[in-house]
Amino acid sequence: MLSDPYLLIVVTSAVLGLALGFIMHRADFCVTAMFRDYFLFRDATLLRALLLLMACSMLLFELGRQIGLIRIYPFPLLGAPSLASVLGGALFGVGMVLAGGCVFGTLYKLGSGSLLSAVAFLGMLGGSALYAEFHPAWAAFGKATALPTTGITLPQTLGLNPALLIVPALALASVFIWKWYRADQFTRPAVVDGFIQPGKAALLLSVLGLVSYILIGMPLGITTSYAKLGGILEGLVAPAHVAQLAYFQALPLNYTPPLADTAIQGGPGPALDAIAAIQYPLIVGIVLGAAISALRLGEFRIYYKLPAVQYASALAGGVLVGLAARMTPGCNIWHLWGGIPILANQSLLFLLGLVPGAWLGSRVLARFVIR
Amino acid sequence: MKEKRIIVQDLRGQICPACLLITLRNLNEQQAGIKGGQAEFHILTDNRHSTTTIPNAVINMGYAVDVRKEHGHYRIVIAQITGGHTPQSQLDGRPA
Repeated sequence: MLSDPYLLIVVTSAVLGLALGFIMHRADFCVTAMFRDYFLFRDATLLRALLLLMACSMLLFELGRQIGLIRIYPFPLLGAPSLASVLGGALFGVGMVLAGGCVFGTLYKLGSGSLLSAVAFLGMLGGSALYAEFHPAWAAFGKATALPTTGITLPQTLGLNPALLIVPALALASVFIWKWYRADQFTRPAVVDGFIQPGKAALLLSVLGLVSYILIGMPLGITTSYAKLGGILEGLVAPAHVAQLAYFQALPLNYTPPLADTAIQGGPGPALDAIAAIQYPLIVGIVLGAAISALRLGEFRIYYKLPAVQYASALAGGVLVGLAARMTPGCNIWHLWGGIPILANQSLLFLLGLVPGAWLGSRVLARFVIR
Repeated sequence: MKEKRIIVQDLRGQICPACLLITLRNLNEQQAGIKGGQAEFHILTDNRHSTTTIPNAVINMGYAVDVRKEHGHYRIVIAQITGGHTPQSQLDGRPA
């Protein structure tokens, strides 16, 4: 057992972040584009890669659980399904399209020099901090609209062994994946330097998710620390106000990490706690990994002479994403790459809201922002 | 012989999918000139994703397309299809 559980977490997160940023930049693996391009152009190439990633993660997580590599099931921070997750998903869908990227997408684009992504990132911090203002009311809404079920995952709710749902779901997904693979629909023409095909990127990213689940005890996620960072920034100008907000006192994470023998805690407050140990290195790693990739290709550039409406869209979208990620709670990567592979109820409801939200965001973007 | 008109749209740094949307809108307006060989449409972009989405879209619309890497960005050239020109083959190779 490790005497210091934080060391493994910090090192693992940093390495995962670097790899994530590098791969996502090389493949331009933008989850927002996956939905947006389908709604605007009926281009499903990237959406197919997302389905491959989710199916592969489902297989790896279940295998990991079956052979004992994954001991924490379901992973921490997943809550009861409620209408709050659907509405949060919808708002997240609108926000990520207007911001030009989701939480992870914004980071890898920021690492390659995108100024709009920097604006969106600041918006996300602001939106996350703003949520703290109405957290008690929203938490009450979530409780009032919770589904009358028990269990965090669908198998738990139905009282079934997870494999009884995972195996048929994977069998169905395999039919489509095989068809797309035969038709060469996971690849795009390799026009840019250092390109990683979307299908290959999906497989690599699912392996990184598995490593995170095995060594840290949960899949990839970063948005609680956005509330942390937003609260720290707000605390610079209004420390007394931040100190009295209930949201920043909460410690929703309380678990014993793999290979550790003591429990660690963390929450959205400013402390350097378990959330900070897991998520800060991941955030920094993604930005650095993407920057390394862009610099090696000679593609790191900062452009600032951009239409004002795009700056406004990035900021507004960022605020919406930050708010939505707290209202759900969790971001699209957490739910699509982590929660849905274990059939978490909250993640399924998030997806239910995300799809129409991304459709609406795409319409607004094409009509009012890009002119 | 009249010199070919080059229309350059600098979309570097812009929000996605500005490149594809603006290209499609411009091609509607400039269709006659480009397909008639009097004009070429050039897009400057730093968006890696656009270097595949734009060629895929405009080839289907009957244009020739070429992607070139320049200093820190890509130049996507949309032009008239000329004799012996196979647009798809340009996409299979690396940028010039």
